[in-house]
Parts: sequence; structure tokens; C-alpha cells
Amino acid sequence: MASTTITPGRTIRKVRPIPQARNRFELAMWLFMRYSGLALVFLALSHFWMQHLLIGTHEIEIAGTQLRWGISGEPVTVEQLIWRTYYAVMLVLAVVHGINGVRQVAYDYFAHRPAIYKGLMGTVVAVAALISLGGMAALFIGAAASTGEVALR
Amino acid sequence: MLTPLINTARESLRYRGSGHVLWLLHRITGLGVVVFLATHIFGMSMATFNPSLHEAMLAVYKTPLFSVGEIVLAACLIFHAVNGTRIAILELRPALWQKQEVATRWSIIVTLILLAPTIAIMAYKSMSYYLTHGLR
Repeated sequence: MASTTITPGRTIRKVRPIPQARNRFELAMWLFMRYSGLALVFLALSHFWMQHLLIGTHEIEIAGTQLRWGISGEPVTVEQLIWRTYYAVMLVLAVVHGINGVRQVAYDYFAHRPAIYKGLMGTVVAVAALISLGGMAALFIGAAASTGEVALR
Repeated sequence: MLTPLINTARESLRYRGSGHVLWLLHRITGLGVVVFLATHIFGMSMATFNPSLHEAMLAVYKTPLFSVGEIVLAACLIFHAVNGTRIAILELRPALWQKQEVATRWSIIVTLILLAPTIAIMAYKSMSYYLTHGLR
């Protein structure tokens, strides 16, 4: 039932009740944020510290990626499969965690403007889906064999 | 002269509580990480689809501006991870809600403990690189 809060001199906003299905979705996302967050603490921090402290930003080259992902068209080793799984799990958890985080923020500021909220979230989800599908494909195809050639061809 | 400003900061902190500041920081750092995440996944996928673009992006990451950005990213990521752990533990174990003030303090302490050596090592690595290779 739509309720109306009437406060003299203030904007009146109609608050609609949240449907059951959305409640279940919200509970699932609430739990997902906590568990994926705990997993990402280990995944993302180990990834960050490996690249920035053990290797160092100025030492990062495509060669390292070729080593861990494997090279496209070449046979994949067990180690490379483990690396791919590690990155794939991190990618999915981080992207969904990130989208839901942005959704929470968007909802806080645009809940009363459904057009802006839906447009914003539609764009965010579309861009995120495109980028992560590309990332996932790249991961399982493997890094390009050498620099430049593919781009110049 | 600064008294009103200090009063505003202190009183809003007292009124809304330190948890509110962490809530705001969690939101800002989360948005910061998500922006880098998008750039990072796109950049890494170029290692397969467009290696010269990938290498061009790696070169940009090796400039002083991005060395500063790297420190900002570390701060965002580590704070978000530590504070997120606090949120997850407290919300999954409501019995601990009585200790919220303690948890808030530990959130900041653990962030600083993890962040300080991270920044120190990254800054050391960046400085020694720029000292031998010069600024580009």
C-alpha cells in the first residue's frame, strides 16, 4: 500500500512497498556482498601485493602475462590453468561485487528518480558485461604471442 | 579563525559517530576501486586482443602520475578490504554489535598497519626506477 508522509513545507514522496521477489533478491545480494567481500580480501590483496610489491609496477611486462595465462594457440600447462581459475574467480566476484556496490550508491541518490536510476544502472551493467566478457575471453584464449603484430595486421 | 571549521568537523563526528566517517570512506574507496577495476580488466584483455595497446597502457602505468595513483589505489583497496571485513564480521555476528566502537578503531589501525609498508615498498621501487631511468 502506498503511504504518503506529509510534513508541512517539505516535498512529499510516495514510498512504495518492496515486492517479495525483490526482497529475496536483496537478501541474496546482501549475503553475496559479505561472502564475496571476504573472498576478495584474500584474492584481490594477494593479487595486488604480488604485482606491486613482489614484482613491482615498473617490472610488469606482457611476458609475465604470457607466462601465467599461456599464449594463444599453444598448449596450456596445469599451472596456467590454476592461474586462469584464480583470475576468473576474482574477475566474476569483483565485477558482481562492484556492480552491486554502484547499485547501492545509485539507489541512495536516485531512488526517487527511476528514469535516471534505470538509465545509469543499465549503462553500468552493459559496460561491465562487455568488459568482463572480453576479459574472460582473453584469459581463456591466452595472451598474444608477441607485441605489435596483431595490432598492425 | 579555524575554530568554526574544527567545531563543525568535531561536532559532526560526535553527532554522527566515527562509523559514519567509515561508511563514507567505504563508499568513496569502493567507487575508486571499481573505476580502476574496469580500466584494469579492459587493459588486461588487450594483452590478447591488442598487445600494442596493452603495452602502451603498461607504459602509462610507469609514469610518476600513475605511481601516485598506485598509492591511492593501494589505500582505497586496503581500506575497503579491512573495513569490509569489519562490516562482514559484525553483520554476520550480531552479538558483536556491542563492540562497534572498538571495531571502528581496529578498522583504522589494521588499515594503517597494512598500508604503511605497502606504500613504503611501492615508493621505494618507484623512486629507484625514476632515479636510474629518469622521468618520462
